This record gives sequence, C-alpha cells and structure tokens, in this order.
Amino acid sequence: MNDRDDIEAGTLRVWALRLFVMTRKELLQLKRDVPLLLFLIYSFSLSVYISGAGISMQLNNASLLVHDGDHSASSRELIHRFRPPYFRFDGEVEDQKVGVQRLDQGTAMLLLDIPPRFHESIVGREPVSVQLQVDTTNAPQGLSAAAYAARIVGEFSFDLASFRLGGASGGLMDMPRVESAHRVWYNQNQDETWFQSISHILRMITLFAFLLPAAALVREKEHGTVEQLLVSPVTPFQIMLSKVLAMTLVILAATALAMASVLKPVFGVPIKGSAPLFFLMTALYSFTTAGLGLFAATVARNQAQVGMMALLGISPMLLLSGIATPFEAMPPWVQTLMALSPLRYFVDVTYGILLKGVGFDVLWDSMLAMALLGGTMFGLGMWRFRRQLE
Amino acid sequence: MNPRRIAAVARKEWKETVRDRLFLLMAFLLPALWMVVFGYGLVLDVEHVPFAVLDRDQSSLSRDYLYRFIESRYFDYRGSVSDEREIDQLLGDTAIRMAIVVPERFEERLLAGRSVTVQTLLDGTFPLHADTTKGYVIAVNNSFTQELLTDFLARTRGLGSDEARRLAEPVSLETRYLYNQEVRSTWSMVPALIMFALMVASPLLTALGVVREKETGSIYNIYSSTASKAEYLVGKLAPYVTISTINVAALWMIAVWLFRVPFKGNIAVFIAASMLFVLCSTGIGLVISLLVRTQMAALIITIIIAMVPTILFSGLLVPVPSLSPGAQVQAHLFPMMYYTDVVRGSFLKGLGLKAMWTDLLALAGFAVVLQLVAYGLFTKRPKA
Repeated sequence: MNDRDDIEAGTLRVWALRLFVMTRKELLQLKRDVPLLLFLIYSFSLSVYISGAGISMQLNNASLLVHDGDHSASSRELIHRFRPPYFRFDGEVEDQKVGVQRLDQGTAMLLLDIPPRFHESIVGREPVSVQLQVDTTNAPQGLSAAAYAARIVGEFSFDLASFRLGGASGGLMDMPRVESAHRVWYNQNQDETWFQSISHILRMITLFAFLLPAAALVREKEHGTVEQLLVSPVTPFQIMLSKVLAMTLVILAATALAMASVLKPVFGVPIKGSAPLFFLMTALYSFTTAGLGLFAATVARNQAQVGMMALLGISPMLLLSGIATPFEAMPPWVQTLMALSPLRYFVDVTYGILLKGVGFDVLWDSMLAMALLGGTMFGLGMWRFRRQLE
Repeated sequence: MNPRRIAAVARKEWKETVRDRLFLLMAFLLPALWMVVFGYGLVLDVEHVPFAVLDRDQSSLSRDYLYRFIESRYFDYRGSVSDEREIDQLLGDTAIRMAIVVPERFEERLLAGRSVTVQTLLDGTFPLHADTTKGYVIAVNNSFTQELLTDFLARTRGLGSDEARRLAEPVSLETRYLYNQEVRSTWSMVPALIMFALMVASPLLTALGVVREKETGSIYNIYSSTASKAEYLVGKLAPYVTISTINVAALWMIAVWLFRVPFKGNIAVFIAASMLFVLCSTGIGLVISLLVRTQMAALIITIIIAMVPTILFSGLLVPVPSLSPGAQVQAHLFPMMYYTDVVRGSFLKGLGLKAMWTDLLALAGFAVVLQLVAYGLFTKRPKA
C-alpha cells in the first residue's frame, strides 16, 4: 500500500517536473525574442498611459461657430452659455455659407444661427427659434452635442419664462418644475482615464493571451519540433498546458506592471475590491482566451493562418464585448453571439472588482461562464491536437 | 529594376499565397465579413439603457412621468424596487445602469406650482454612457416641465393652451443634422469600416510573407540571386497590393449596395486615396517584417500595431479632435486618420479633391516614407 502511494507520489512529481521544465522552456524562448519582449513591456506601460490619458469619448471641445444675425444683449447672453469643456467657441462667421464650408472641411462641428430681431422678439414676447446645424458624420458625438445644445437653449428659455412671469406678478413666482439631480456611482467625477486605461489593459490581455500560446504551438508544428516532443516522455496535455501556464504567468506579470506603473500612480484608479481576486480572475481569463487561441492553433497549419484566425476571433471580441461600445444597445443577435466571448464576462468582472468593489457573491455567474468556456475550448483543442499527433 | 525579375518574385509569392487555401480564403473573406458583422452589429448609440425605478409617491402624475422613460427607446425598463438598497445591488451586478428615484409628494408639489427634484443614480464605469444617459434624463425632465408649466399657466391664468405654450417656451432650438440626416451610426460606421478592414488584414499578409522566408531560411535564395533589393520588395508587395485592391472594390460595393450608404464624392479621389492607403498598410507590414526575426513576433506586433491605433486613434470610434494633444500627435503619426477623413468625406460629405488634398498628400507621404524605410532596412548581407 505504502509502496503504491510512493510510486504515485513519484509519478506525480515527475509529471510536475516535466510540466515545469516545459513551462520554463516557453519562458526562455520568449525571453530570447527581444523585439517581442520590448513590445510586450511597451504595450502594458506606455501604451496604457497614452490611451488612458488621450482618449475621451465624452463630448469635449466641440468646435462651435456662430452666425449672429442680431448682435444684441440677448444673443450674446445665449452664446455665452455655450461653454467649455463641452463647447469651444471658435468665432463668428459673417456668412452662413462660410460656416457650412467649415463644417464640410471638418474644422468645426456645430453652427449656431441666431436670427435677426432675436432680442426684439424676446422683448416683444414673440416666440423665436434659433437654428443649430450639427455635423453628424460621427453620429454619437453629433447627437451628444445636439443634446447639450438643447439643454442650454432649454434652460435659457426657462430662465426667460420664469423671469418674465415673475416680473408680471411682481416678484418671483412659483412654477412647477422637475429638476434633475444625478449621483454617479463608482466614478463620481466621470474620470474617463479610469475607464480607458482599464479597457486598454483588457484589450492587451486579450491580444497577448490569444496570440502568445497559439503562435508558440503553431511554431512547433511548423518547425517540426512537435515531433521531437512526441518522442520525449511529455504528453500532449503537458505540451499544451505548459504553453498556457507560461503565457498566463507572463500576462499576470505584465498586468501587475500596468497596475503598478500606470493605473495606480498616474491615474489614481481605486482598487475597491480584492486585488488577489482580480489577479486570480485575470489568470482564469488568460486561460480561457488561451484555450481559444490553442484551438485556433490546432486548426491552422502555419503562423500566417493563425494570424488570420486570430483576427477573425479577436476583432469581434474587442469591438463588441462592451469595452468600446454600450453592450445593451447592441442588436440581440450580437448579444447572443457575444455569449461566446470570454471578454464579455471579464469586462463585468474587471470593472466590478476594480471600480465597484463587488466580490465573488455578485460575480460568480461571470466566473462560471468564463471557466466553462475556457474548459470547453481547452478540451476541444486538446482533442484535436491529440488526433493530429496520432 | 528588371520587370522580368519582379514578375518572377511576384509569381512565386502569388503561388505561395494561392496554395494556402485557408489563408487565401481568409484574405478575401475576412474584410467583407467584418464589414457586414460590424456594419450591422457595432452600434455606438447609447440606447436601451437598463433602469429600475423607485417610486415613493405612487401617484398618477408620478406614473405618468415614469411612463415617459418606460416608453422611450433609449431606456429599457427592468422593474421597480421598493428600497434604495436593492438599487445598490442591481447596479453592483450590472443588472441596471440607472435608477430613478421619485420623491414623496411629487404630484402634490408640482400641482401646487413648486419644484421637485428627481434623483437619478447612474453607473459611472463607462463615463460616456453615464453622460449620455444624463442628457436623456434631463431632456425628459425638461419636456415634462414644459408641459406642466403650460398646463399650470392655462389653469392659473385662464390662458388658451397656445398662448400658455408661447409663454412657457419663449426660445426654441431647431436642430439640423448634416451629412447623416437620420443620425444613424451605421452611416458613420460603415465608411470607416472600409479603413478598418483594409488596415487590419493587409499588414499581416505582408509581414508574414517576408518573415516566413527569414525564418525558414528560404530568403537566402534571394540573397544569392540576381534580384536586387528593390525588385524583391516590389515583387513581394505586388500580390498583397492586388488582394487589397480587390478588397477595396468589394468593400465599396458592400457599403453602397448592402448598407445603402450614399456615395456623394468623387470616385477618382476615393480610388487614389485607397491605393495610397493600401501602399501604406502593406508598407507598415513590410517595415515590421524587416525589424523582427521570428514570425511569432511579426504576428503579434503587426496585429497589435494594426489593431490598437486603428480602433483608438483613427477616428473610427472617437473623433480625432476630441483626443488629448498627446494622443492627437499619435493619431497624426499613422496613416489611418487621413484615410478615414477621405472615406467619410467621400461617402457622407461629398467632398472632392479641393477639400481633401492635404489628406491625400499625407497618405502619399506615408506611402513613400514607409517604402523607403523598408528599402533602407532590407539588406542582402545580413550580419548573422
């Protein structure tokens, strides 16, 4: 009995040792690819900073031109309300046509047209309307600008009405009004650097977790070194697992680098939840994505093919999983399709842990989905890989 | 440069590409597939924001008010709660993105002509969405206020409803949406997707074509052959430029015929810009391929270089003017931004050469510089 235990413990040790050696081989191979390594470091440091600091999807600095046909106190008062950070007053144009031309060239986004006799109409209690032309080649930004403009003119109008009515009854009068009070949670100041820098890390993890193990496996197939491994005592399972392990370690280290060098010190992203849980989840996500990559690698015969399959798989993941666009607004078929994208779950997990501070009790369903997807893909890849080797 | 030698290199490259069935299929299928998937699937408009309500008033007016949110296509009603703690939980679990809290005595105060504050709690993880959602809420509140005020004036001053409305809204705004009258994000997306599809696939094709030879050692045949540096590079590029050119035509047809995006501009300008852009994108692949030694490095670096600036700094999702100065510099360092300008300008704005010659010039500059750099980097006498 004891002997058998010993033998079993011995085999396990040998098994683990072999896995360790294979993992080490992968790491060494990566270490020797200097351009790739430098690029990896760049991707998780400077690149995170550039995207975090540089990208703002919120409306800001929308260039506004004004054609003021009135030049009165009222028109100036209205123009004055279009303020930074949303709008940037880019001067007046004498002629409507010049304004439209500037919109054509893309050097201005909005053209506000105040009609002549604007002030007179207001004093004379005639309703008057101002015109706004918006460049909507970029639809969301255009809409957002129009919404802000509507808000500004609406308030201008309301102030005027209340002043006038109050004046008529000799004193400020009560008026029914629904006022809006907003409380923004998890990111009170709507600091976009948090969102963008975290998104960027998600993007990078996805790309590297998919590509590193996939390329490593195909390289062995292409060079024929898989044959060498086959005659060695390692099993196909160990070959695949060692690649995933090595790359997951690399990705965890890179993520830690990004958190320690950019996210915390530069952008001050709060890590509200548990950091160990986050890294554990990153490992799970890398494993899942690596499973996808390895599956692709078993289908592909050379690295060019793997590249194309990576593009096929990764672009929808990156663009449709909710880090670039609002997930809820996607058409239903995209939402269904994206149930297959591990990134879709990892987005919720990451923002949940880092910004919302929620834990396992809330996120268990996303974790389960990731684990299931990863296990399935890894299993499928394993099955194909074994079959190819036999 | 000897055209026969160029043709020979090109023919060899072409055969190699054509014989790899899966690769060839992907080279043509991928751009078209993306165009269709992202054209229909990539929606930028903030709509269907899931929300819950906490109605502390439970009056007919409060129901009338909340009904405006429930009816709107911008919001997606997910039920009502009785306690603020439930809101906490729903927001934490991302089951909702917003909650509206209607205070007590909502109806009573409004009918008495007093103001009422309605609180909205927003999930701020995606600041753009939070901000847009805020805008929607304010718009609903403003129009609701307008109607209340009109009613109120009609009731308390005995005015006709027209006159009351005139009093309630002295200044109004008329908005005209230019270039994209129905403000469909499909229209702004699809032309830019032509850029995306071209940019992501062609550098990879080119980069791997060269590095593959370096890695397998077959490049030594070239080193020892009579083909000159320039002949080799031109021959190498030719098949990939051809593939990309066919793709440009296919993508244009998908945009115009499938998505019905109007093409208002000058077709010659569009073709010229596309050709220059194809030279740029293949040039990027060529430069990368000469800097790295392994296919793995070429693969990863090309995909990331092609993907990240293309998604972030090309104007595809975020307009370049609203980037920070540093990011704008980065945007200008890549050819994608200029091509996006030309494509959107040609499709939606109907601009011609006069308005876009700077973009074309920039693209030409990139094409020339990239090819020259590739020429400079390529050597037939490697050190190792």
